[in-house]
Amino acid sequence: MRVTLVVVLALLATGVRHRAAFAQPATTEQTSSEPIPDDAGFGPVITIEAIEVFGNTTTQTELIRRTLPIAPGDVIQASDKRLRDARFRILALGFFRDVTLGMRKGTARGQVIVDVRVVERGTVVLNRLWFGTSNVSPYWVGADLGQRNLLGLGVAVGAGFIYAPHGDVDGGRDQWAGEVRASDPSLFGTRWGANAAFTLVHGSEPYRVTGDPQDVEARDLRAFSYRRFGARAALTYDLTALSRLSGGLRAESIVASLPVAPTQELLDGRTTAIDLHLEPGESRVVTAGFTFDRDTRPDPILPHQGGHVTISAELGSSLLGGSYEFATLFGRYEHYWPLFRGRHTIGLKMAGGVVIGDAPRFERIHIADVNRMLTPRALGLVLSAAAPLDILGTRPDKPTYGDIGGSANLEYAFELFRGTGKNRVYGGDLFFGAGLWGLSERADLRARDTSLGDALPIDVYIDAGVRIDTDVGVFEVTIANALGRLR
Amino acid sequence: MLLVASTARADDEKPEVIKMRFVERGDLLHATTKIGKLFDRAAYEALDSGFTSTVVIRMWIYPRDSTEPVAFNLLQRQVLYNLWDEVYELRFDDPSGRKVFKEKRKAEALTRLTNLDNIPVARLADLPYQSVYLLAMEVELNPVSKETLAQVRRWLSQGTGGGLDRGGAFFGSFVSVFVNPKIPEADRALRIRSQPFYRARP
Repeated sequence: MRVTLVVVLALLATGVRHRAAFAQPATTEQTSSEPIPDDAGFGPVITIEAIEVFGNTTTQTELIRRTLPIAPGDVIQASDKRLRDARFRILALGFFRDVTLGMRKGTARGQVIVDVRVVERGTVVLNRLWFGTSNVSPYWVGADLGQRNLLGLGVAVGAGFIYAPHGDVDGGRDQWAGEVRASDPSLFGTRWGANAAFTLVHGSEPYRVTGDPQDVEARDLRAFSYRRFGARAALTYDLTALSRLSGGLRAESIVASLPVAPTQELLDGRTTAIDLHLEPGESRVVTAGFTFDRDTRPDPILPHQGGHVTISAELGSSLLGGSYEFATLFGRYEHYWPLFRGRHTIGLKMAGGVVIGDAPRFERIHIADVNRMLTPRALGLVLSAAAPLDILGTRPDKPTYGDIGGSANLEYAFELFRGTGKNRVYGGDLFFGAGLWGLSERADLRARDTSLGDALPIDVYIDAGVRIDTDVGVFEVTIANALGRLR
Repeated sequence: MLLVASTARADDEKPEVIKMRFVERGDLLHATTKIGKLFDRAAYEALDSGFTSTVVIRMWIYPRDSTEPVAFNLLQRQVLYNLWDEVYELRFDDPSGRKVFKEKRKAEALTRLTNLDNIPVARLADLPYQSVYLLAMEVELNPVSKETLAQVRRWLSQGTGGGLDRGGAFFGSFVSVFVNPKIPEADRALRIRSQPFYRARP
């Protein structure tokens, strides 16, 4: 018994994280994280006679009951881990500001009634805000709102809309896009979840016809109009508390008004054909895919330890009813190593993907996907035609879309402060990041008239800024973010 | 932004200097102090909820002019109210073993839980005469495991499910969360430091 206890405490000691604000021990052997030893043998054996819920006016009682890891009739020890976890299971729903649990005597000796008292919180949330200005659009504005607990059923619904009037690009038109979606992360309290969404895009896509790729003059660009209407649905399964597998189908109708034989006049006077990677007129995209996701970061907002891995594959085929035969494979890996007792961290972030076959334009990797210093796409709309900063002096005519691309960067972050949340602020980090990004058409790499080094469309990514984690959301002020809204 | 930062910084708890009693007994140094401040009214009321309350105490002894500890101790204390026997059951774990107690009254259970009496904190051989040391203590009530924190935060940070700009969402390096009820790492925490002390040469 004593030996076991000593071993458990030794493990605890190595797992203890010292976060005190005073002078702290520097040896890692005697510091770091947590766990609590097994509670076997502590407290009486009890029978759950009933579970009663108080304080919920919106959320259905049944939803709370089925979230609990205990149920009436269970015979457990009073110190059982499931009782400890119960509070966090309910808090994890995100519908409550506070949850307290208590027991009282039941109708017979050994029986208890578990009381769950909840304090509800608002569940209407602002997921995204879009705003900025560029050469393609004098301004764009949009928002994405959600209700995480529709009618108290635990079902999340949301909608987003963005509007971007056209600029001076020939052929351009006002753009807008909207999306509605619904999801239930735990169907009937099981590990299965489901989500679905509909998206409508009324877009106008710019492409270069002449001029220096580094210049962003509207006269050098043309635009074509398109409309996309798509639906997607997926089932998810929680393999573990931190790992999820999802599989889904996506169907999309594209109507594109393409120019006849578009060409680009290069700086050396040559003229080359442009492949817009779309079928003229109406076409369809139908895909099936799966995603695996594992996230072990204790704090995904200001991560200082843990990691995140995502792998996603999708197949589009005429066998499924689509007009395009293609496959995509994307992967993403992040890991954070804590330094100086967790107050600092070094993070490695890598993301990359490959698109195989005749993928439509919108399924390809956009340059803003890999270079965060450019305006990211919003609900599928391309809002800027700005060229990436040419820092390394590599290939100047970097493609807007590619079929192979990715980024890798190192980020160093350190705590500016940590709060207890009493002032609705949990913490803030200052971070610096640098790395490489690259994007290419594989055909361009095979058929080239320069060395591979000169042909590789690779450049540097640099970012720095502040992240603040608050009760109402995450605020990020960074160089890349500013560049993405103003170019 | 700076205003927010300064406000939150003030929110961060500073260590409290508490006078502790140190006694040499055998070849060990023992410390005596109290951690009653860990329990506010809500925490005290929760003692008879029937659920386990856990106190984790971590102690370091280090030279006053260094951050390199010469000793570390971990203690865990738990209390649980037995509804039917109407008694508080306490269980203390430390490197010397496990002890169990029973108390009839809540106040007495709290006193036993929060009084640290003659706790062995270091081997005397590790504390040379005339050197000045500090004892730093971090005490947490109902600490939450990193895995539980990860699970809760993961669920809360699930985004909008992505749109048609799947590539952008996939490559995006930062999660956006606008419902953000953060789960604290413990219900309550204390950071305590002793007065400087040294071993007088006999």
